[in-house]
Amino acid sequence: MVSMKRMAAVAAVAMVGLSACSGTDSGSSAVPGVPGETKGGDLLAKAPVAAAADILPGSTMEKIKQRGELIVGGSLDAPLLSQQNPTTGEVEGFDADMGKALAKYIIGEPKVKIVNSASETREALLSNGTVDVVFQTYTITPERAKQVAFAGPYYSSGLSLAVRKGTAGIAKPEDLNGKTVIAGANTPAIPAIKKLAPQAKIVTFGSDPECMQALKQERGDAYVQDETLLVANAQKDPSVQVVGQPFTSDPYGIGLKHGDEQFKKFVNDWLKKIQGDGLWQQTWKNSIGTVVQGEAPTPPQIGSVPGS
Amino acid sequence: MSNLLFDEPGPRARRRIRVATVVGAVAVLGLLALAVRQFAANGQLDAARWQPYATWPMWRYLLDGLWSTVLAAVVSAAIAMAAGLALALGRLSRRRWVRLPAAAYVEVVRTVPALLLVYVVLFALPRYGLDLPLFWKLVVPLAISNAAAFAEIFRAGILSVERGQNEAGLAVGLTHGQTMRMIVLPQAARRVLPSIVSQSVGLLKDTSLGFVVSYAELLYSGKVLATYNGLLIQTYIIVALVYLVVNASLSKLARTLEARQPRAHRPRRRLARA
Amino acid sequence: MSAILDHLPEFWEGLIVTLQLTAASFLGAAVVGLVITAMRVSPVGVLRGIGTAYVETFQNLPLLVLLVLAVFGLPEIGIKADLLVTAIVVIALYEAAYIAEALRSGVNAVSAGQGEAARALGLTFGQSLRHVILPQALRTVIQPLGNIFIALTMNTSLAAAIGVVDLTAAANRVNLMEAQPIPIFVGAGLAYALIAACAGFVTGRLERRLVMVR
Repeated sequence: MVSMKRMAAVAAVAMVGLSACSGTDSGSSAVPGVPGETKGGDLLAKAPVAAAADILPGSTMEKIKQRGELIVGGSLDAPLLSQQNPTTGEVEGFDADMGKALAKYIIGEPKVKIVNSASETREALLSNGTVDVVFQTYTITPERAKQVAFAGPYYSSGLSLAVRKGTAGIAKPEDLNGKTVIAGANTPAIPAIKKLAPQAKIVTFGSDPECMQALKQERGDAYVQDETLLVANAQKDPSVQVVGQPFTSDPYGIGLKHGDEQFKKFVNDWLKKIQGDGLWQQTWKNSIGTVVQGEAPTPPQIGSVPGS
Repeated sequence: MSNLLFDEPGPRARRRIRVATVVGAVAVLGLLALAVRQFAANGQLDAARWQPYATWPMWRYLLDGLWSTVLAAVVSAAIAMAAGLALALGRLSRRRWVRLPAAAYVEVVRTVPALLLVYVVLFALPRYGLDLPLFWKLVVPLAISNAAAFAEIFRAGILSVERGQNEAGLAVGLTHGQTMRMIVLPQAARRVLPSIVSQSVGLLKDTSLGFVVSYAELLYSGKVLATYNGLLIQTYIIVALVYLVVNASLSKLARTLEARQPRAHRPRRRLARA
Repeated sequence: MSAILDHLPEFWEGLIVTLQLTAASFLGAAVVGLVITAMRVSPVGVLRGIGTAYVETFQNLPLLVLLVLAVFGLPEIGIKADLLVTAIVVIALYEAAYIAEALRSGVNAVSAGQGEAARALGLTFGQSLRHVILPQALRTVIQPLGNIFIALTMNTSLAAAIGVVDLTAAANRVNLMEAQPIPIFVGAGLAYALIAACAGFVTGRLERRLVMVR
C-alpha cells in the first residue's frame, strides 16, 4: 500500500514537471549548443538564396515564402539521413539538411517543419497539400511518378547485405535462398528479397536498431538494408560486417505535388546550383561522409531516371 | 475474504507458512538475481549504457512523448465515452431500428483488433483520398474500438440501477428521456466510474500503437531514442517503467473509487478488456 | 476480391499462426492465472504479495512494450527462443494477470459459508480450494473468461509487430504487394470476428450448462 502511494506521488510529480516543461521550452534556447549543430549552421550560412525574380507570383514557391516555413515530409528515425537528435530536438542528416537548404533558398531562412510520414502515405500527403516536399529516401519509379512529381534524383543508394562476422556462404542476394533474412518492416528490402531470393524466409522488425539486435541475437542469417545504414552499423559494431556490393540502385527523388512543373523546374535549378558550388558535396560529407570513407560521390544526373 | 479459506493458523500451520514464505522468497529473489547476473555478464548493466538516462535531455524527450501519450489517450477517451454513451442508450432503446445498429456496432467492433483498424486508417483510407494527420491516425481507431467497450460499461451501469427508480420517475410524470437523464444516468455514472478509469488505463496502454503509426507518443519516442543512441534494451526498460508508474497510479485511483462504493451497487463488470 | 483469392495460402498460414498463438497462450494463461489466484488467496503473506505484484505489473504495462522487451531482452539473459514461442509465452503471462483478476472476483463471489463448511469437514487449504471453492468460482466467471479470450485473440495481432507472421502481418504483407487494402483488411477482420463468435458461442453453451441455480 505504502509503495503504491509513493508511486502515485512520483507520477504526480512527473506530471507536474511535464506540464511545466512543455509550457516553457517551445524554443530550443534552453538547450546548450552542441558541436554538430554549429557545423550544420555554417553550412546553411553558405547556402544560396533564390533571386526575387525566381519566386514567380502565384507559384508554390511564393506560397511557401509567404508562409515563412517549408513543410517537409520526412522521418525522425533514419540515422545519417533524417534522425531527430533528442538533445536538441533538431532533425539531422543528409535529407534533413537538404530540406533546410531548400527552405533557405526559398524563404531566406532555413525554416522547416518536418511532418513524420509513413512511407505508404507520402503520395496522399503531397496530393492533398499537407506537405510541400518529401525528402525521405523516396525512390523514383515510373509507377509513383503517375501520382507525384519528382525533382532530382538528388542521391543514389542501394540495398546491401550485412551478416555476423564469420558467417560463410552469404556473399550475394541469391545466397539468401533457404535462409532467414531480417528486414525493416514496410521497407523496399522486402520486395527486393522476394524477387532475388524467393525461397528466403523474411522476418521484419520495426526499426534499424531492432533489426541489428535481431541479427546479433541470431534471429536471422543476414540483414538487408540501405548500404549507408549498414556501413554505419558495422562501424559502430565490429561483430557485424557488410558483404558484397549494393545489389539494387535506388535513385532518391524530391517528391512534389503531381503536375506542378513550375516548382519542379525551380527545385531542379536549385539542385544544379548547390551541386555546382560544392554545397551538396559538403552536406554529404557532414552526414553520410562521416561513416563512408573517401570523397563525396558524383551526384546523379538530374532527370536521368524514368519518372523524374 | 482473507479468512474464507483458512482459520487462525495453529502451531503446525504456522510452521508450514514460515517454510512457504522462505521458499517463495528465495525462489523469487534467486530468479531475479540470476537474471540480473546474466544481464550484467552480457554487458547490459555497464554504466556507459545507462549513463544517457541520467541526463535531462533524454528524459525531457521521453516526457514529451508521455505528454503526447496522455493527449492521445484523453482525446480518444473523450470521443469513445461520448460515442459509448450514445451506443449504450441506443442499445437500450425501445425502438428496434435504433437498438439493432447499436448492438451490431458493439458486437462487431468488440471483435476486431485495434491494430487492424490502425492499418485500415494508415494504409486503406489514404488510397481513397482521406489522409488524416498523424495524431488522428492513432486517435480515430482507438476511439472506434474503445467506444464499444465504453458502451458495454455504460449499459451495465444503467442496467444496475434498480427498476423501481425508473418506474418512480415515470410515475411522477417524467418522460422516458427525462427519467433517463435526471434519475437513472446520474446514479449509473457514479457506479461505473471505477470501470471507466480501468478502461482508460487500457486505452492509455493502447496508445502504444503509435509505435506503428509513427505518432511520437512514449513508445515511439523510445524507438527514436534507440535509433539515436543504439541502446535498444535500456531504452525500452525505461519506457516500460514510465508506463508502469503512470498506469499503476491510475489503477490505484480506480480501486480507491471502487472502495468508496457500497458493495450492493457495483454493476456486474463485463471484463471487456484484457 | 482476387487479391484475397490469389493469396489464400498466405492468409491460411497467417490464420493458422493466429490460432496457434490464441490457443497456446490461452492455455498457458489459464494455468498461470490459476496459480496466481491460488497464491493471492493463500495464507502465506509472501505468496500473496508476489501474486499481487504480478497482476499489478502485467496489467499496467502495454503488451507491445512487453513483447519488444522480451524479444530483445531475453536473449541477453541467456534465454533464446523462437519468435512465435516468445510471443506465446509473453501473451500467456500478460493475459494470466487478467484471468487471475477474474478468478479472484469469482472466488470472492463464492459465499463464505462454503469455505467454512469445507474447513469444518477438515479439508486443508489446497483441498478446499480445489474441491469446493474453485469449481464454483469457475462457473461464475465463464462469461468474463470468454471476454478475456476474445480480447486475447485481438491481442495476438500485436505479435505482428515483433516479426511473427500472423493473420494481421499476412494481411499487411499481401496489401504491400497488391495495394488493395479494403478487401484485404476486411477479410482479415472477418476472420477475427469469426474466431470471437466461436468463442462467444462456446461460452454461451458452457454457461447455460454449468450455471448454478441458487
